[in-house]
Amino acid sequence: MLGRHADNLFWMARYLERAENSARQIQSAFLHTLTQRADGNEEWVAIIRSTGKTEAFAGRHESVSMANAIDYLLRDKSNEDSVISLLANARQNARSVRTALTQEVWQSLNESWMTGNTALKRPVNIRDLPSILENIIKGSSVFRGALYGTMLHNDIFNFLRLGTFIERADNTARIIGARYQRLLPTAAGALGGSDQSQWEIMLRSLAAWRSYNWLNRGHLDPSGVASFLIFDDRMPRSLSFCYREICTNLADLETEYGRTHESGRRARLIKQQLEDGRKKDIHRIGLRDFINGFIVDNNNLSLTIAADFNLAP
Amino acid sequence: MSQHTEDHMFDEMLDGSGPDGSGPDGSGPDGREPYRSLLAWLDDQDFRKLSKQSLQAEELFRRIGITFNVYGGRDGEERIIPFDLIPRIIAGNEWRRLERGIVQRVAAINAFLADIYHRQEIIRAGIVPSALVHGNRAFMPQMCGFTPPGNVYTHVVGVDIVRTGPDDFYVLEDNARVPSGVSYMIENRATMLQMFPELFASHRVQPVSDYPKQLFRSLAECASSFIDNPNIAVLTPGIYNSAYYEHSFLADEMGVDLLQGSDLEVRGGRVIIRTTEGTAPVDVIYRRIDDEFLDPLSFNPDSVLGTPGLFDAYRSGAVMLANAPGAGIADDKAIYSYMPEIIEFYMGEKPLLDNIPTWRCSEPDNLAYVLAHLCELVVKEVHGSGGYGMLVGPAASKRELAAFSRKLKANPANYVAQPTLSLSTVPILTRSGLAPRHVDLRPFVLVSPEGIKVTQGGLTRVALKKGSLVVNSSQGGGTKDTWVLEA
Repeated sequence: MLGRHADNLFWMARYLERAENSARQIQSAFLHTLTQRADGNEEWVAIIRSTGKTEAFAGRHESVSMANAIDYLLRDKSNEDSVISLLANARQNARSVRTALTQEVWQSLNESWMTGNTALKRPVNIRDLPSILENIIKGSSVFRGALYGTMLHNDIFNFLRLGTFIERADNTARIIGARYQRLLPTAAGALGGSDQSQWEIMLRSLAAWRSYNWLNRGHLDPSGVASFLIFDDRMPRSLSFCYREICTNLADLETEYGRTHESGRRARLIKQQLEDGRKKDIHRIGLRDFINGFIVDNNNLSLTIAADFNLAP
Repeated sequence: MSQHTEDHMFDEMLDGSGPDGSGPDGSGPDGREPYRSLLAWLDDQDFRKLSKQSLQAEELFRRIGITFNVYGGRDGEERIIPFDLIPRIIAGNEWRRLERGIVQRVAAINAFLADIYHRQEIIRAGIVPSALVHGNRAFMPQMCGFTPPGNVYTHVVGVDIVRTGPDDFYVLEDNARVPSGVSYMIENRATMLQMFPELFASHRVQPVSDYPKQLFRSLAECASSFIDNPNIAVLTPGIYNSAYYEHSFLADEMGVDLLQGSDLEVRGGRVIIRTTEGTAPVDVIYRRIDDEFLDPLSFNPDSVLGTPGLFDAYRSGAVMLANAPGAGIADDKAIYSYMPEIIEFYMGEKPLLDNIPTWRCSEPDNLAYVLAHLCELVVKEVHGSGGYGMLVGPAASKRELAAFSRKLKANPANYVAQPTLSLSTVPILTRSGLAPRHVDLRPFVLVSPEGIKVTQGGLTRVALKKGSLVVNSSQGGGTKDTWVLEA
């Protein structure tokens, strides 16, 4: 496959995953803002921080409010990570690799873009927000379904999946990183009411609220949430799950191309670190350094993949 | 020229069906022969439902992404070309006549190109003036003395044809460089099949969907002089090009890579692409970029689209380019006026398809005539395309006429003029029912050493504005499915 095409596929999947993650974060912060009487802006500040856009945002708006934040995160074209920009970029990449995609995959993407563009043409009315977010997330699901159901599971598929899971791992790590302080147990080891809702937001924005409750029969504890999001490889947005997938897709490429790559070695190393971490007490691994280190390693793996497979021109 | 008076236009569906119910060419109150069964079907249709289906077709095109970019449009805005549901129908016997004429013409074009880039007999014979060739921007001295694989210059040709009466067909222009529109021919048919399957049960319509496979085969046949089972690729200027959809469609349907200039590299005399596994060779490039953007080393040093060294690799026989660089000299509008002589010179027979009488403004007598009759004529730029920079005399205001005659006088050699033909019409579906609109036809021709093949169909472009003669999609034109009937 043409290296540029692999690059387009990899980034197309990253952009789409990022758009979905962004929609999920907005969804959970929105719910929180509506249900809490306390000052809700804190949540929007946290989202903007976790996407690394604090400064850029300050250049566009004087202060953080729900309306400003939603506008910036969803439809500001000057923000390359706004949902509207991400959908446009994903579609642009897809157009470049039209020949590598099935009609159904292309159409799912094209329709997401068309629907998103129409919905986000004008500032969003709060009343429409839930359905707009739902549509964005649904678009991502349809894309995933078309991908699994209609594409050959070959190198094209592998590069798409690599993009998805590198991006997803980055997203989960950033969400944990932006709130790691709250994951640390208090001296009393118990959680206050406000903190309780923090857990909820975090789990909801990773589509993991229900599954966590189901697994823990409603019992919330900080160490439990942290290790669930990092180490539980049954949870599709945990770091361990992402790395299991990344290793599988890189191994497929090794089989298909008949040789080993540096990226495969690195990915297995990161996966090993996650497995080792799981066995340790979460309080003793140094959560902050662990997460920051992970974000750097994950990003380096992305660069190594690009070098191994001629992705960059 | 047409036998018809100025105000009579030939309608391909209804013409001749006068109040007495008889017509000159076997047409009756039920319309002309090839359309009879369609007309009967139309009688049974609910027009509101048809209009709704027309919107559905557009929605389908948008979802599939059959769009084109308008140059200068608002931030890379994409539009769809309006599609009209009423098919344009050509009878089998009409088609066979056209086909013979097209094959003859395209054979002559290839013979002309081979001659122009070798011995130039036609110039020596005093038929085509030397200055017209050597002073032409489309002439490529780098091609002189080089014979492309299979001796084919124009692998894909689009011949634009207009009609003015039952038996009056004219070639409007030849497209020997990178003709586009073939994807619309195929998608329009696919859309019609989906929406009105019953029509295809009641008509024997020649298929067009195998065009990409034929293109693949035709290119491989041309390359067979230097390689078996070649690696073929489509070369596009990129996603912002107006015909990008078509480039990706053809690559997809042929099952080959869609490349940009920066994907190609010339290494050790071979043309390669960088792949996820290392590198891979490319043997045949169906390029959809203009000559000047192929190779910055040989042509346009400012181009960022090209591949350095590509032309040298081509000349050394490492890769085949389709169409051959320099083929544009054959479709130049000034050369066009010599086509009847060119066909006679190489084919030894009279042209089967007529040219439109053309005044070359470079000649003083012609210029004087054109200036005096500007309001009756269509004036085109010699190198223009897409309907840009052209004057339609009868539709122009006094001011436009005056401005154009200044341009003409300033640079007469840049223009040719033709009479305003009353192009045939075919009805389109409008809000108030059927209404006649002017059409042209672009059949697609594939050339290989094995022969010249015309796909039985083509792209019918239709001027959607009442009375308009400009069918270009960039100027408000639409398309129709084009049926060639077996009988």
